[in-house]
Amino acid sequence: MDTEQQSQTKSEFEREPVPKSALLGFKSFIGMYAGEHCAGTELMLGPLFVAAGVSAFDLIIGLLLGNALAVLSWMFMCAPIATRSRLTLYYQLEKICGRKLVILYNLANGVMFCFLAGAMVTVSATALGVWFRFKMPGLNDLYPNSVGWVVAVAVAGGLIAIVAAYGYQTVAKFANIAAPWMVLVFLVFGFVGLRQFIEATGTEIGSLSDVWHLAKTQIWKGGPPQEGQVKFTFWHVTFFAWFCNMAMHIGMSDLSVFRFARKSWYGVASGAGMYVGHFMAWISASILYAYQLHLNPADTDVLPGPLAYRAAGLVGLLCVIIAGWTTANPTIYRAGLAFQALSPKSSRFKVTLITGAIATIAGMFPAIAMKLLGFVALYGLVLMPMGAVIFVDFWLIRKFGMQSYYAELSGKTFNWAAGLAWFVTLAIAWVLVKFAGVQIFFVSLPGWFVAAILYIVLSKFYQKKLRPDAVQ
Amino acid sequence: MRSILQIISLLSLIALTLPSVLFLAGRLELDMVKWIMILATIVWFVTASLWMWKDNGEGQQETG
Repeated sequence: MDTEQQSQTKSEFEREPVPKSALLGFKSFIGMYAGEHCAGTELMLGPLFVAAGVSAFDLIIGLLLGNALAVLSWMFMCAPIATRSRLTLYYQLEKICGRKLVILYNLANGVMFCFLAGAMVTVSATALGVWFRFKMPGLNDLYPNSVGWVVAVAVAGGLIAIVAAYGYQTVAKFANIAAPWMVLVFLVFGFVGLRQFIEATGTEIGSLSDVWHLAKTQIWKGGPPQEGQVKFTFWHVTFFAWFCNMAMHIGMSDLSVFRFARKSWYGVASGAGMYVGHFMAWISASILYAYQLHLNPADTDVLPGPLAYRAAGLVGLLCVIIAGWTTANPTIYRAGLAFQALSPKSSRFKVTLITGAIATIAGMFPAIAMKLLGFVALYGLVLMPMGAVIFVDFWLIRKFGMQSYYAELSGKTFNWAAGLAWFVTLAIAWVLVKFAGVQIFFVSLPGWFVAAILYIVLSKFYQKKLRPDAVQ
Repeated sequence: MRSILQIISLLSLIALTLPSVLFLAGRLELDMVKWIMILATIVWFVTASLWMWKDNGEGQQETG
């Protein structure tokens, strides 16, 4: 996207529909999605699939299907609303839910962003371990396990936080320059890892079927997961790929992005991000980890720094640092913005620094990065119900004889129908995970329907009194 | 000048990737691949910064 124009239009159209003159072409969205979804965390997620005992068929076909479902969710759930209302997520939510509920949503969003940024700091810190050779966390470590690790995360996270507070825009510019290079370094990881497997196993490659045989028997062998990991099947991979960005498509975060799209089918541009970042990059990173296990099955540590260094030397390490840094930077900044909504008069600089400090402390605990598959699923789940509320409010609620944008019409600052739909859905999801044995990767789908039905039923009781001047 | 920088940038990305393809085909040693990648990375960041810096404003977002 023409980012200068983007930032200008963002500030201009925060509380009004984007006008025709500010709409953007299809190519803008392709570039933006391809860059956004090739992040530092891909270096954790790929290996974690292998640690979860995934097989070649389940991984490749599951990712193809899951990513296709994600693209369709952007195309048919998020973009059609975005191109009709042309409002930011926050303004649309405010009209439906009221200002106070949006603040609560911001808080939840900010907390999740903080932990996600923490995982990105963790990724960057693993690169420092290659240079300074301190003890790094293992796959099942929940707490920091060495002074060196704590210092490395503190240095990496501290620098990221300070830079985000002082020069967010500068790092964002650098991130745009680094993006094409980073995508290709991920591709190199895959090529190098594949060759290393061919050499290590003495496989003769004469056709694609030989490559597939190698993939099935040596790289993604299936079987039991590593100790402490959940076994991933085809359905796990599919649902994970579909829902890892649930907050953005079904959760409607990307209303703010697609409000600039001329047509709703531009949602297909998300495919560039999915099949570059969540297909190629995950597969490449997983090959590196599978090769590590092939060399030493007892070495189960998922450490992007050493993995990248083995494959691509200094450039690999640089990729790990830059991938973690450039993606943690906007995450910390956005978390800061979300928190600042709680106290608008507080200084942006201080809020970003404090947010960065929280993310850095979170990054010291390897539990978040090592359990990233579950955390990402949780991230989508927490924000998903509000996406269901927006969907119902936009398409369905008038068909049931009720009003859209109820908070705006009634002057309420906290729409309890939307709030309860959110809280009760999360409570039901928690019960399903905790007591009914449903894994977190699978609760979001029924959860969406629960949230949608709850919002309709609760609104029926709640929407009694509108502001008289607002009723048409 | 801008066009020349863009061509050099593009070539540096090709130089970043091509050695790994040759390594995959068994035509190049990994150490050589790593050295070429370092050079290509330096060329990319120097030349791309010269023409991309002014074009860019706000940037990326996190994902999972």
